[in-house]
Amino acid sequence: MDLGFIADIVPEILEGLPTTIGLFLWSMLLSTVGGLLLALARMSAVGALRWFAVAYGWLIRGIPLLLIMFYVFFALPEFSRTFLLSPFWTAVAALSLWTAAYQAEAIRSGILAVDNGQYEAAEALGMTRAHYMRRIVLPQSVRIIVPPFMGNAINTLKQTSLATVITVPEMALITTRIISREFNALEPLLALAIIYLALTTLLVFGQAGLERAFRLKV
Amino acid sequence: MAPLVRVQGLKKSFGDLQILNGIDLDVEPSEVVSIIGPSGSGKTTILRCINLLERADGGRIEVDGQVLCDEGPDGGIRFASKRDIRKIREEVGMVFQRFNLFPHMTALENVIEGPIAVKGMDKGAATERAHELLASVGLSHRADHYPLQMSGGQQQRVAIARALAMEPRLMLFDEVTSAVDPELAGEILLVMKHLAEQGMTMIVVTHEMGFAADVSDRVLFIDHGLVVEEGRASQVLGAPAEERTKAFLRAVLERAPMAEEGDDPDQLNEEPTWSSDPLAAEEAARDSAELARLRNEVAELRQQLFRSGTTRSEG
Ligand SMILES: Nc1ncnc2c1ncn2[C@@H]1O[C@H](COP(=O)(O)OP(=O)(O)OP(=O)(O)O)[C@@H](O)[C@H]1O
Ligand SMILES: [Mg+2]
Repeated sequence: MDLGFIADIVPEILEGLPTTIGLFLWSMLLSTVGGLLLALARMSAVGALRWFAVAYGWLIRGIPLLLIMFYVFFALPEFSRTFLLSPFWTAVAALSLWTAAYQAEAIRSGILAVDNGQYEAAEALGMTRAHYMRRIVLPQSVRIIVPPFMGNAINTLKQTSLATVITVPEMALITTRIISREFNALEPLLALAIIYLALTTLLVFGQAGLERAFRLKV
Repeated sequence: MAPLVRVQGLKKSFGDLQILNGIDLDVEPSEVVSIIGPSGSGKTTILRCINLLERADGGRIEVDGQVLCDEGPDGGIRFASKRDIRKIREEVGMVFQRFNLFPHMTALENVIEGPIAVKGMDKGAATERAHELLASVGLSHRADHYPLQMSGGQQQRVAIARALAMEPRLMLFDEVTSAVDPELAGEILLVMKHLAEQGMTMIVVTHEMGFAADVSDRVLFIDHGLVVEEGRASQVLGAPAEERTKAFLRAVLERAPMAEEGDDPDQLNEEPTWSSDPLAAEEAARDSAELARLRNEVAELRQQLFRSGTTRSEG
């Protein structure tokens, strides 16, 4: 193994870092909003919404992310040209759709952890449902949501590498280019692994920080 | 004077199970009405229908002149609008068996949340009022404690203060002492007794016959979703007319060990087992004289009850 060679290619792989992080942050933003809406739909009084949320989770969690990415990239534009997205936004869409299904479960478990008695107490005081959600549920559920939520975030970060297959120039794609140019897989793959490990480690520290911040003061 | 609460023909079923079969109940302002009855008879459901935590299937409920629900000409039930329901709920305070405090908020925060959010009170005024209320339930020094740091009795008193902070015209109590250690029930009952003396209108679902006899103006005995017997506390509890009421009271008296004649009433007055922290001890010292008085009263009532119960079952 040639450490000098690794030192040479790391900067080149890191040229893909902004794209990787862009994919990750956009997917996290959209999937968090989507996951929250799905969690609320799942607990809604409207049967059709509940049904949709359950079906969505079953479908998305039951098929490979790769398939979702191909579907958004190749199949959706056949229905309408409005779905014709750039590779980057295709990957963001697929990652968001996929992550949202998992975040919905994380968020729902947090909301369910607040017992119904508190809802009744809030109702009896005349609070609106929105106020109850914001002031009573959110502060209590955040600390329950953080661990599974961050676990999903780590997964999504790693899965951004799948965007390679639809030619998004993120770190994994750059690495495969280096491999075919240099006829050498060992060092480039090792370098890429180290970079992903560094990023996921950052997220693990972030999770620990969040858990400390939201610990129940008792 | 018009009744503050007027319930007519209240019906409710869960699935195939008919729980309330037409309950009539009028409560005058400042009146304290206790509801007693066997487990599953529908007592909780009545309270929940009165502040619309549960939607009745039939009948009419009016609180303070506002109609919560009524039967239309077609026989179907109609409810007040969401906005009106919220307004009515502001006027109706409810205290639950399991306290249902917000665990991420201190006692003070629990009390001020409603007035600020619902009544639009400013934080300073709400805080000032909350301190008064916490003092009135004997918990001024617990204002900054979280629910998990308090005993069941203290949590329930915070819950009462929280409900009172909305300045309700009517308070609903659902077996508020049954989830706390028996020796802590007294401190909750004491607060309720003070509240009754101040003229609060109250509907109290309770298994504490002594308290029902002591504090309520009127007692309703409910069974199978119907009012079986209703009248002054001394009449329903001391000289019940209905067989079912007698059987129920006899069962209750047998279950709870009663002070019998010749017993030393002092044995009911042993010091409550307070937690070991100094604040609680201080509080205990302050409350224990009042508590002892209430306990004596309850013990006496129990004896009276027991006497009338036994003569009745012999007769
Ligand atoms: N949401 C619900 N769904 C189905 N059944 C219910 C529901 N709420 C109450 N019940 C049933 O209705 C009946 C009456 O309940 P309720 O809680 O009013 O009785 P209760 O008189 O308060 O009894 P307890 O003294 O045990 O508290 C019970 O059989 C209960 O199982
Ligand atoms: Mg009950």
